Amino acid sequence: MAVAADIAAAGGPSLRQRRMLTHAAIFFGLVALWEIGSRAGWLDPLFFPRPTDILASFWRIYVTQGNIWYHLFVSLSLVFAGFIAGSVLGIGLGALVGMNATVRRFLQPYVIVLEATPRIAVAPLLIAALGFGVTSKIAIIMLVCFFAPFINTLSGVINVDRDRLELMRSLGASKLQTLRKLVLPEAIPVIMAGERLALTAALSGVLVAEFIQRDKGIGTLILTYTRNLNMASAFACIFTLTAIGFLIFKGMEVLDHRIAFWKNEAGLRRVSTKRARGWAEKGGAVHV
Amino acid sequence: MSDALGKAGFWVVRLLPHLMVLTGLLAIWEWLVAAGIITSILIPRPSAIIASVFRLYVTEGSIYEHFFITLAEAVFGFLIGAGVAIALAVSSSLSESFARYVTPYAVVLNVTPGIALTPIIIAWFGYGMGSKIALAAVLCFFPIFVNTLTGLRQTDPDREELFRSFGATQRQVFTQLRVPAALPLMFAGLKIGLTTALIGAVVAEFAQATAGVGVLMARSSFSLDMASSLAALLSMTLIGLILFYSMELLDDRIVFWRRDARMSAVSRARARAWADGTGK
Repeated sequence: MAVAADIAAAGGPSLRQRRMLTHAAIFFGLVALWEIGSRAGWLDPLFFPRPTDILASFWRIYVTQGNIWYHLFVSLSLVFAGFIAGSVLGIGLGALVGMNATVRRFLQPYVIVLEATPRIAVAPLLIAALGFGVTSKIAIIMLVCFFAPFINTLSGVINVDRDRLELMRSLGASKLQTLRKLVLPEAIPVIMAGERLALTAALSGVLVAEFIQRDKGIGTLILTYTRNLNMASAFACIFTLTAIGFLIFKGMEVLDHRIAFWKNEAGLRRVSTKRARGWAEKGGAVHV
Repeated sequence: MSDALGKAGFWVVRLLPHLMVLTGLLAIWEWLVAAGIITSILIPRPSAIIASVFRLYVTEGSIYEHFFITLAEAVFGFLIGAGVAIALAVSSSLSESFARYVTPYAVVLNVTPGIALTPIIIAWFGYGMGSKIALAAVLCFFPIFVNTLTGLRQTDPDREELFRSFGATQRQVFTQLRVPAALPLMFAGLKIGLTTALIGAVVAEFAQATAGVGVLMARSSFSLDMASSLAALLSMTLIGLILFYSMELLDDRIVFWRRDARMSAVSRARARAWADGTGK
């Protein structure tokens, strides 16, 4: 408190900085409480590892032993393979179904039923059908990744502005042109929201697949550490997943910003100046 | 009478094409397996699945124990997760500084795949129902928290103005303006939460359990009894549908003003009660 007062007297930190300081103080206070509680014997360190033990585990699995890198690589390559395959399929089918009213009507009951089914639950079935190994893991991830992009693309395509659709029709646009120039661009924010859900689901999907198959990957690592009651290392793996989850979240936000550039002022200006320049270079004079 | 018949006829006409498509698809599937184009070990015939469902639900009746255990795990987990989420969201909406200090932890919890906690939760809560309830609660927390908080925070300046000009107290603003305005979003969150709670219960059952639909499914899959496995999957769908539609029903009763038919029914009932109470 005295330190904070000193800084304030020096005309120092803004409200924001002071808030960050309080946040840090509360966080470290909680961590210290945990550590002290464990050392004093209120918390069983066998089940609730000490913060210092978790830090030591981080050091061990990343540096001295370095075994997490391999498992991370295995899991993340599965996540991206399954995510791309599943979401491309989802977006494609969503656009296809959305454009055709009859198909939509007949598909709807199945979609409702599938939505109520916990999709990750199909994991054991897929493993039994496709065997142990990479194929069944990717199939599981594809399945959990498929649904959100599919539904979101579908609803994005259905909810296209009637007047704009009318305009496209009166200009004599073909079905493909309507899809490319109007429907997909309008649906992109919703599709991106679906992609974000899908990527998160993919991370859960790979974990479930690895919990069941138990051969390699971060899920297997967490399971093994927990079974050996090495809780500190299990927690280090989980915090790694938190970091990955956070990166995915931020990455998707940036991607969303770039792809749906017309949604924000700066992006719109950037793209339109670039296009104007490209157009001017192609020969046309720019009328200002 | 003829009206009722007309209504029934209307439904038959609407449902008939759907049923025909379904029957056609099942017939093609049946034929593909029977002709040996699809291996029956991997993808069983529809008739085998129906036979399995019949066996599990009628002749053996062995599914009910598993069914209700999974249902109970999902519901209890949901109640705990939703209770904590709503309590935290309400406190956050009432106190700006409380919100500031809770939100970062909620966000961290959100970006962590909750399923990663499965082995640890099992180590903490044991092999019984406790660990399934705990995982269900953890998984359903965030959507409910976020939706409730967003709902409570959204404000309509005009309505606020109206409440202020009538001299409403802080408490009245909260209970009669904020909460009703938040309910639709909150229910959307609760519906998502129910689905994720079911996922939590089932995944925890896969990892380690002695009873539940998830166990039944994993067991039959690994003994290559795919028909029973799919029957178990259909049971999960049934649980999901039961949970979803009970929440939908609750939504319909509580957030009555969003549907015209319910709206007029409720206002008519209120008008009658008012007329009975105060007279002419």
